Amino acid sequence: MTTATTTPAGKAPADELVFDVRGITLRFGGVTSLNDVSLQMRRGEILAVIGPNGAGKTSLFNSLTGVYTPQEGEVLVAARSGDEPVSVLGKKTHVVNHLGVARTFQNIRLFSALTALENVKVGIETRQKSGPISAMLGLPWQRREEKDSTAKAYQLLDRVGLAGRANELAGSLAYGEQRRLEIARALGTGPGVILLDEPAAGTNPVEKRELAALIQQINADGVAVLLIEHDMKLVMSVAHRILVLNFGQRIAEGTPEQIQRDPAVVAAYLGTSEEDAETELATHDQPELQRIDLSGDPLHEASTTEQSEGSGATAAGEKGGPA
Amino acid sequence: MKKLSLPPVVGRLLACLAGGVVLAMMVGTQQGSQQDYGLSFREAVLDVRIVWFLLLGLLVFVVITYKDLVTPYLQRPGVRPLVAGVLVLIASFFLLTWYDPLSDGKFGAFADAVTGTPQIAPLARAFFGWLWLVGLIGVPVLIAVAIVLRVRVLAWVAAVVAVVVGVLAVVADSTAGDFAGGIDHSFGSVVALLGFLVLAFAAGVVARSTKEVATPTEFLERVMAYRPGLPLVVVGLVLGLLSLTGATWLAPTGDNLTLVDTSALFEGSDLDGLSAAVLGWLAYVLLVVVLAAAGAAVWLRSKPLGLAAAGLAVVSVLLVLITLHGISSTAAEAGYGSGDGPWQNLGTGGWVLCIGLFLIGAGAVVAALQDVLPATAAVSSDAAPVTGSGRLHAAARSTTGRSLALFAVGLALFYPPTANQFWQQSLTTTIGVYVLLAVGLNVVIGWAGLLDLGFIAFYAIGSYTTAYLTGSLPVQPPSWLLLSPLWAIPVAILICLIAGVLLGAPTLRLRGDYLAIVTLGFGEIIRIVAVNNPGEFTNGPRGVATPVPHPVIDLGFIRIEWGNSSLQYWYLLLILLAIVLIFFYRLEGSRLGRSWAAVREDEVAAQATGVNTTRVKLLAFAIGASTSGLAGVFFGSQVGYFNPQNFVLNNSILIVAYVVFGGMGSLVGAIAGAAALTWLPEFLRDQVPAEDRTMWIGAVLLVMMIFRPQGLIPARRRKAELTGLAGHDGSVRPGIQAVPASEGT
Repeated sequence: MTTATTTPAGKAPADELVFDVRGITLRFGGVTSLNDVSLQMRRGEILAVIGPNGAGKTSLFNSLTGVYTPQEGEVLVAARSGDEPVSVLGKKTHVVNHLGVARTFQNIRLFSALTALENVKVGIETRQKSGPISAMLGLPWQRREEKDSTAKAYQLLDRVGLAGRANELAGSLAYGEQRRLEIARALGTGPGVILLDEPAAGTNPVEKRELAALIQQINADGVAVLLIEHDMKLVMSVAHRILVLNFGQRIAEGTPEQIQRDPAVVAAYLGTSEEDAETELATHDQPELQRIDLSGDPLHEASTTEQSEGSGATAAGEKGGPA
Repeated sequence: MKKLSLPPVVGRLLACLAGGVVLAMMVGTQQGSQQDYGLSFREAVLDVRIVWFLLLGLLVFVVITYKDLVTPYLQRPGVRPLVAGVLVLIASFFLLTWYDPLSDGKFGAFADAVTGTPQIAPLARAFFGWLWLVGLIGVPVLIAVAIVLRVRVLAWVAAVVAVVVGVLAVVADSTAGDFAGGIDHSFGSVVALLGFLVLAFAAGVVARSTKEVATPTEFLERVMAYRPGLPLVVVGLVLGLLSLTGATWLAPTGDNLTLVDTSALFEGSDLDGLSAAVLGWLAYVLLVVVLAAAGAAVWLRSKPLGLAAAGLAVVSVLLVLITLHGISSTAAEAGYGSGDGPWQNLGTGGWVLCIGLFLIGAGAVVAALQDVLPATAAVSSDAAPVTGSGRLHAAARSTTGRSLALFAVGLALFYPPTANQFWQQSLTTTIGVYVLLAVGLNVVIGWAGLLDLGFIAFYAIGSYTTAYLTGSLPVQPPSWLLLSPLWAIPVAILICLIAGVLLGAPTLRLRGDYLAIVTLGFGEIIRIVAVNNPGEFTNGPRGVATPVPHPVIDLGFIRIEWGNSSLQYWYLLLILLAIVLIFFYRLEGSRLGRSWAAVREDEVAAQATGVNTTRVKLLAFAIGASTSGLAGVFFGSQVGYFNPQNFVLNNSILIVAYVVFGGMGSLVGAIAGAAALTWLPEFLRDQVPAEDRTMWIGAVLLVMMIFRPQGLIPARRRKAELTGLAGHDGSVRPGIQAVPASEGT
């Protein structure tokens, strides 16, 4: 089941772990959302988490960021280089964020009545020191911090291609722009690892290509990226390693090539038995997962690559609306 | 049973007629008795006026039903201000009191009294006899004709007539009022002037418009952007001329002395040279000089000139103030009039001149600030470059905002001395204090989005802290802690901060309604504790034991002592308010202000972005509470006596209403909302029976929340929330209509 891990393409030392998740189990009443999931994420890698809807991907994210506390297991994080591993469990979300873990949301959660610039500034300023009194009196260091955060916010907006929209209200931005603004806001907190929850949902093919470039660029700057995504083309093109979840359990982990050939994964997505999946794999030359629409539920079959790209975008678009 | 369903048209008609009946009942007397509950109903239904109200309902029905037919006419230039002006005039002539010492001081009764008194000046009698009809019917007809026939000259004529009749209304009313004597709190003539000015504005729109369809805002924007600051200078000039020619400068009982009279009176007295000079000739020179400098600055859009004119205006205002002090104290020394010290027996003239000079200077400041504008106006994106008209729009808007703000400052500084005792008292004890409280609650509700229904408790804590520290409670503080009220301010603020944190810490994990209930309980607990008098601390329902002393500033060489005059407290309040506003304005744009907005918008996302939401919310509670601590000190030392009845739940709810009414999250809105809603009951005191006041206030709130849910002056951030994305560029009306449209089908 667990594939032996290979060295990622990243340049950072391979032995340093950003996330060390040891057998976490998360239950809601009788429902087990995550069942004994383990995951080792290395510094500087792009790790994708895939799986059908309801597989527990977002639950995993929430467990890693302190929103949920798993009943069993341990989550250790050392987001920035040289950090001592610290347990996330029981810590408040904002504390986890201060440990260097930033995230975006599946259903966009921007501060829609603030401008794009202000959204990013909120992120940047959580690392600043000046308090209310220095703000009321307009003390020099407060003004300096204010200037710093504005300058830095403009840089970040420029980086995600929103420099021209800085003074627009976040709520009035286009869908794809809102997704990128969320990433900019998360980057504002200066994270060592960023968790992206379906960043490509509802975006068009051009935006997807830009997003892939952005993710790779973020990674190149030394930020580890943990990515939930349904768009297989995007996942396969950027991820160094992939973790596959189904029904709250880890069913596979490995490089994109390994995952595409993994019968358990194909079975999970096609909703067939593993043997059928193996024969299916044997009869086709091209990697199977490229041809499967992974945005639907496991029982839903889609066929060709072309279709999956188009329908995947629309399906995700519908889903990405106010949930 | 089959559900009875009416055709929608019939239902609408019935609803409109029912609305007319309700309005008829509201306008009539509400007094009933236990034996006769139906009095107001009979009064409303059996009187002739029911016909008018039913017709009104019918009119509304027709307008709603044939909206599509009516709309194109409403969009003709000037039609909407015309309608608004006529409505204001109708209200002023039929509903409002013009002279309240008469028991029924409505326009009709007063007009009868005036026309029947030959001793009153003919002009006033003419106005109350027939001239008002010319204004009410003639001017609107003239404008309507100008609209239909598109005759510009006619519109100009109508504008001039409207302004003249409007000024006549005020002059005639004050002439007749002076003749009759007595304290007059009525606003009829002022509202009439307002109506006529709106009509003049409508006529201006008609005369200047070139388009088939035009909104009044475009005209207003053109006016404001033509020469920034010009409207202020013009208003200032008019006020200045009024004060130099007609207004009363010194008014001991029985005398109304204009500037010339006053100057003559003090000839040969021991008035200081400067004051004598101002009275004799310097006042005219000052007005001309300031006007010339400001006019040049406005016309040439010159920054240095503008600042110079503003400086000149400040100096001139100071000179006028010195003169006012001089003449009033000299008169008091000479035993002329009833005054026993400076600042008494003064007429409105000097203060009006101050307002005039201030406004002219303010116009120059607006002109000087103009060159800062393009930088702020051009914030829009590359994608949508600022067009010529867009820039005009933004420039006009910020100019309008600045002009209005400076106008309000001018009035706040120099209007209160001219008001009568009653209004001075209301301004400080009710309006001023509640403005301060609303500004504080705005932090909690408007910025951080926490519904606090117990805000008055902090006010109570501030007040009782002051009473304790000044030794006015049965329990005396240790002697080293016995403070003067001004020194109590930091302590009271600190105590309220702590109280805010104590309340907040355990409750802030609650959200929305739950938090509201807990804070409501907190407010009640504090009040009941005060009533129960634990440890003989609060002196129970009787309130403080000895009066809280008035504040004193004693610096050795100068000693300022606040006494019983409301006016002194008004200026103290203005200073406190200015400080609070500056602090809060900075806070709003700071890191904390953004964090508040983030928590309000999406708490989960704020946490995930690293915002310590608990700390941020606690700070909102604490900072809001500290403001009400300040208000408590002010209130305690001003009224001297207070008891737990001042801190009932109703007041908490009223403050929430002020903030919502003004526009949540907007500092200016909170001030405007509190000022408007605290002013309204005082105003209605003379307009409607006492027991109807609350009903009218409720009606105002209702209408406001239906037609302008974002409040009087909405905050940019909140506005975006309420109007939704479509309304962002202002092209679409507030999204409130869009919601039921889809659900209704």
